[in-house]
Amino acid sequence: MSPVLKLTDLSVSFNTPRGMLKAVRSVTIELNAGESLGVVGESGSGKTVLSRATMGLLPRTAVRTGTVEYLGTDISNYSAKEVRDLWGTGMAMIFQDPMTALNPVRRIGDQLTESLVVRLGMDKKAAQEKAIALLKRVRIPDPDAMMRKFPYQLSGGMRQRIMIAIAVSCNPEMLFADEPTTALDVTVQAQVLELLSELRKEFNMAMILVTHDLGVVAGHTDKIAVMYAGDVVEYAPTRQLFSNMKMPYTEALLKSIPRLETPTGTRLPVIEGRLPDPTKDEPGCPFANRCPYVTDKCRAEKPPLTDGGNNHFYRCWYPIGGAQ
Amino acid sequence: MLNRFWKKPLGFKLSTVWIIFILFLAIFRDLLPGPAWDESTEALGVSPGSPGHFFGTTQDGFDVLAGIINGARLSVLVAVTSVLIGGGIGTFIGITAAYFKGKYDKVVNVVFNMMLSIPNLVLSLALISVLAATKDGIPASDSRKVFVMIISLIIVIIPILGRIARSATLQWSTREFIIASKSMGTKDMTIIKKHIVPNVAPAILAIGFFAIGVVIIVEGSLSILGIGIAGGASWGSMLAIGRSYLEFSPWETYFPVACIAFTVLSTNYFGDYVRANLDKRESKI
Repeated sequence: MSPVLKLTDLSVSFNTPRGMLKAVRSVTIELNAGESLGVVGESGSGKTVLSRATMGLLPRTAVRTGTVEYLGTDISNYSAKEVRDLWGTGMAMIFQDPMTALNPVRRIGDQLTESLVVRLGMDKKAAQEKAIALLKRVRIPDPDAMMRKFPYQLSGGMRQRIMIAIAVSCNPEMLFADEPTTALDVTVQAQVLELLSELRKEFNMAMILVTHDLGVVAGHTDKIAVMYAGDVVEYAPTRQLFSNMKMPYTEALLKSIPRLETPTGTRLPVIEGRLPDPTKDEPGCPFANRCPYVTDKCRAEKPPLTDGGNNHFYRCWYPIGGAQ
Repeated sequence: MLNRFWKKPLGFKLSTVWIIFILFLAIFRDLLPGPAWDESTEALGVSPGSPGHFFGTTQDGFDVLAGIINGARLSVLVAVTSVLIGGGIGTFIGITAAYFKGKYDKVVNVVFNMMLSIPNLVLSLALISVLAATKDGIPASDSRKVFVMIISLIIVIIPILGRIARSATLQWSTREFIIASKSMGTKDMTIIKKHIVPNVAPAILAIGFFAIGVVIIVEGSLSILGIGIAGGASWGSMLAIGRSYLEFSPWETYFPVACIAFTVLSTNYFGDYVRANLDKRESKI
């Protein structure tokens, strides 16, 4: 069976006054049904652009190259209408901020039934029933009353559950979750992630979970792609990545997560420096200026994506623990 | 419902009552008792409060109250039709331009700016004097004048509301819930209808009410300039005749002026109120 999603050499650039801004550089990723991929990286590393580019939700100034295959069909040259037919029923997206991703002047019920009526051609009554079932499924208390409420009457966690209910309403094969928990507090975060994992198994969806938090992806993904400055710098099954990480960048990311066991007063390690200018193509490893293990070779030549065995790929001249 | 109405601010109550009153006059003109507006009576220039002529009569013997009641119909007709049609067209163009962007939007923006750069009174004046001109000494009929006036006012209104719709849509169309709805495969027209229109409606309604006031004033101004509706058939027209007799029968001028002023104030206040209250849900977020 062909994978649900296969990206080959996907690159995205934006036409800006300062020149071409390379947001995503030749990313290759494969995802099977029911599988979940975590895309991790700091702000500006191209995570969100990658997921929006895959769906085709990019502004006009964006230039996309490479191929996107969905269930074995190349959809990269689809017209706007053909792509739109896939949205909702094939691919759906959960947005970062549930405060802004719901229309403030329409009732939850209307927003939830909209795609059921428009995309699945359900009649009003059936859509209403399905919507209530969905609300129950995402564990909204008193779904009947919820249908009549406006978004401002709900908490952030509730709104994100509504967003999830809308996204899975048309049974998509592929779900993109773009930082679904960033706007939520930690306890709610855990519940929402748990819900996403359950739904993924229930509907056998493939999922891409975009986040800047390695802790979030650890328990909820099968594989992880670490992105830096538009490149996938490490790509491995989740267990493999955490037990045997190769990239100094991944290590630095992990170190910068606050931990309970560190004594009070300890400074949280940060990754010094900034991302390189995405409009310039400088030689060498893009992480060289911030890397603790940097050598002259790193500054001169950009490392290729190396296969380290066990489906573990990394982009480094001097991987931690040495090359295998 | 009446209970809730009494709790509203005084200005809202006054303007609502006034607007309903004017609409009532406009609709039920023919059923109201009193002298006909276009028939001269024996009493010339009687002051207000005289028996049979509550608002007095003009120097030519026309009953002022009857004129006011009759004038309401034309003012309402001109204002409502031009704002509804012009506003509808303008809103549609503005929303689609801002939503689809690209060349269409650029052209629309340039055209709107060009239209707005012509003073509306001058535009109406030019259109009426060309399309409803006096030919061979026979002035154009009043219905033709009204028709041309409505057309010219529609042209005036389109860019006013179009620009508001465009800017409001620009603000909303980049919001995440629009992208979210798009990502579920919703059609553009459905998104416009269900997500954009409800959000831009408060702004459009407020400016729409304001535009009604503008239209009523333009109609009055045209009459005073001598190219509007003649013979006292509208408030502006009554004003245009009455001002020559200001020193003898000032009530001839005062009553239509008061009507115009109250109506414009009411529509403006009403628009503001509608906007402030429809925006409440948004401001709570």
